[in-house]
Amino acid sequence: MRNTKIKSILAIALSIILVFALAGCGNSGEPNGSNDQIDGNGGSKQINLMTWGGDFIPREIISQFEEKTGIKVNYKEVTSNEDMQSLLEANPDQYDLAVVTDYMVDILRQNGSLEKLDKSKLSNFSNINPVYQGNYYDENNEYSIPYAVSISFLLVNPEAVAALGADPITSYKDLWQEELKDKIVLIDWSVEIMGLVLKSLGYEYNETDPVKVAEAKEKLFELRDNIVRFETNTPEDSLINGEAVAGFMYSNQAVKGQAADEKLEPVFPEEGMPIYIDSFVMSHKAPNRDHAYEFLNFIMEPEISARISVITNFASTNSAAEEYLPEDFKNNPMLNLPDEVVENTSFYINVAEVTEEYDHIYTEFKMR
Amino acid sequence: MNTKPKRFRIFYLSLFFVILYIPVLSVILYSFNQSPSTAQWTGFTMDWYKDLFQDRVIVEAFKISILVAVSTSILSAILGTAAAIGTLNVTKRMEKTINGVMILPLLVPEVALGVSLLLFFTALKLPFGYLTLVLSHSLFCVPYVYIMVQLRLKEIDKSIIEAAKDLGAAKWQIIKTIILPLIMPSILTASLLAVAISLDDVVISTYMAGPTSTTLPVHVFSMMRVGVTPKINALCTLILVGTFVIVGFSQFISKKSNQKESI
Amino acid sequence: MLKTKKIKQNAPVVPVLIWIGFLVGVPLIYVLALSFLSRDHLGNVVLEFTLDNYKRVVDPVYLKVFYSSFLLAALTGLITLLIGYPVAYFTANLESKKRSLAIILIILPFWISSLLRTYGWIILLGNTGLINNMLLKLNIIQQPLNMMYHFGTVLVGTTYMLIPFMIIAVFNSVGKLDRSLLEASYDLGASKWKTFFNITLPLTVPGIAGGFTLVFIPSLGMYFISDLLGGGMTIFLGNVINTQATRGRNKPLAAAFSVGMIVLVLIVLFIYSRVIRDKKEGLFL
Repeated sequence: MRNTKIKSILAIALSIILVFALAGCGNSGEPNGSNDQIDGNGGSKQINLMTWGGDFIPREIISQFEEKTGIKVNYKEVTSNEDMQSLLEANPDQYDLAVVTDYMVDILRQNGSLEKLDKSKLSNFSNINPVYQGNYYDENNEYSIPYAVSISFLLVNPEAVAALGADPITSYKDLWQEELKDKIVLIDWSVEIMGLVLKSLGYEYNETDPVKVAEAKEKLFELRDNIVRFETNTPEDSLINGEAVAGFMYSNQAVKGQAADEKLEPVFPEEGMPIYIDSFVMSHKAPNRDHAYEFLNFIMEPEISARISVITNFASTNSAAEEYLPEDFKNNPMLNLPDEVVENTSFYINVAEVTEEYDHIYTEFKMR
Repeated sequence: MNTKPKRFRIFYLSLFFVILYIPVLSVILYSFNQSPSTAQWTGFTMDWYKDLFQDRVIVEAFKISILVAVSTSILSAILGTAAAIGTLNVTKRMEKTINGVMILPLLVPEVALGVSLLLFFTALKLPFGYLTLVLSHSLFCVPYVYIMVQLRLKEIDKSIIEAAKDLGAAKWQIIKTIILPLIMPSILTASLLAVAISLDDVVISTYMAGPTSTTLPVHVFSMMRVGVTPKINALCTLILVGTFVIVGFSQFISKKSNQKESI
Repeated sequence: MLKTKKIKQNAPVVPVLIWIGFLVGVPLIYVLALSFLSRDHLGNVVLEFTLDNYKRVVDPVYLKVFYSSFLLAALTGLITLLIGYPVAYFTANLESKKRSLAIILIILPFWISSLLRTYGWIILLGNTGLINNMLLKLNIIQQPLNMMYHFGTVLVGTTYMLIPFMIIAVFNSVGKLDRSLLEASYDLGASKWKTFFNITLPLTVPGIAGGFTLVFIPSLGMYFISDLLGGGMTIFLGNVINTQATRGRNKPLAAAFSVGMIVLVLIVLFIYSRVIRDKKEGLFL
């Protein structure tokens, strides 16, 4: 009795292991297993790239590049800017390129972790829209190439807002209406939410003046009852399923939301909005520099860049790409950002200096 | 046995299994959803399965994950069992020390473990990838095996072991012929759990995977910024169906061999 | 003389101890050291001793976070025990073939990504989810029930994620209960319940303790469940540590919170071992 039981479990376990081991080893002939990462100084034709996963850099674009040049792209996927910093600074000789957000370019640059880009090897850099160049994190465009632009704004369901008896939402201030109880979804980050409140009071992002911060804190606490949920990754879902009527989210999320439900409309608050520019940077010890330059040039080709914007729902940084963008992309103000909207945006600068205070307020706000 | 409690038992277990599998079934259901968002159901489609088979990244990540999970499970089964059997003979004080040390890997938050192992393995010049993944995963899988196996070991009748000793059996003989067969089921269930734990780790794998290797859970979580598609649901459905086929098949085989034995 | 014997006796477990001690010891020391360091305006760690991080940790606002996390973990442990114990007990009493099948069926769902299983719960409990849809269609309710983004929703998630560990742990200690003991108790006229409380339960205390440890500790750190099911409305320790280590750019503070969490767990385990010491089965500490 005992024996047969053991036998049967053993049989099950062994067969599971066997099948999976076979599945695991089936294609080990391919040169992209986990065995070849030690390869150092550009001997083989490959580059190591690191950034967010999924189609952040679309796979079809990468395949096109690989076919065209014969250079293999190893795409390491991570979940945050800080993960990238840890990995890049621990092993700078293992990564060629990374795509990080503006403030992280600044940090990596000041830490000496980035390579100054050789513009003579980047013939397509002239395609990049000057509007997105020369920002605080890289005044002289030495270290970074803007890749994707997103801003945060409000996505609103005007019908549902009216049905609740609330006034139409045109600015941050309107979120405080009593009628909107449990009907608002927000990005879950202290700096961003404090920023929203500060803007609604007419102040700037990352305010450190204690009086203004205290005022913002009070104002923030008043918003508590209206919030149904904090969500960073899929806030648009709350508007699609109707649990919220307005949400503060990133542009690519708003685009997805509107695609799922035509009733949803973007509102660009007059008080101002945050902007994010995800940029390519190169490790100062990049092992495959020449191939990396080739890749950067490829990404900046107008047609390729247009295709990337269409897949990722991020605004294009490429002026030359415009003619290749489809009509519905160009006509969508969330994707083809109007100039007056871009002019009304600003970066989160010196985030590390305010997070401690803001996080404390934010925690108190949530734990009430 | 009277039938009333037995009926209650069957009812309770069935209810438990239904609740256990309902979320899994909704994962499967939404692998056929046209909309990429779980917020709405827009209609039936098989497209995600088509996409899945064309996606070499997912397939690649899946292979690495399985390889790491199986290796981790085997390594931690060996280490955990060895430690548990080892504690049979040690002093009381030593046993307490081991019990304490064994829960340490569970105590340190994953981010902290990930970041510090990244720095540590970099200093040791270990190549990041398969090796570091298995090493770090078994670190937090060993305690599970150890605790599970030790619980079973405590149930073993000490007199059997004493008797064997009296009969002059060597230590490894006792372990091999008496202890191991008795605890084998526990080792196997603990290994299955270890596979589950390894297959689910995101944070540590992010730091431990090299530039060329991404595991499946890291792939899934890193997609969150641009959106997790039902392709992942499709993959999980296939994994589940696959394991069920294997389990059913081995049940069938063992039933057959049982029948033969009884003849 | 006696000492060499002791050393010999302990020798077999030393390698595993060193292996774990080394790989966890280094991170532990790192975390402890980090928690006393400062950071610069970029969020980089600098070698400058400070107690500020701990001052932050014991701030009343953050102590509330400790409390809510403790509550979540303790309740998760309790609920997994209440639901899982009968499952383990009944499973152990199945005939051997069905028993191994049941155990495998319990573990298998956990081979699926926990993120997806969490989404599975959202599909069920959401505003337009399956349960609400069904109830609306059956005319049992007129308005969708608001089941998401509560503490209870988070609790459902953590319980669901961790229950197999409780079940398997209890199962392992129920597995070989001495039948003769139970029969003797019945012969003496004890009722089923009495036998259970006087004999079965005490014998399975190690299993309960083991299961509780394996459920309590991880539920302190499961941040994405509270993000997705709890709608980020409450903050737990896992969220704080994760946020501070990444977006908050304050690794020293994250380290101090980690130390705080470890201390919390040690205190709980210590009290726990005191409570069950009467049973002579102090499994830990």
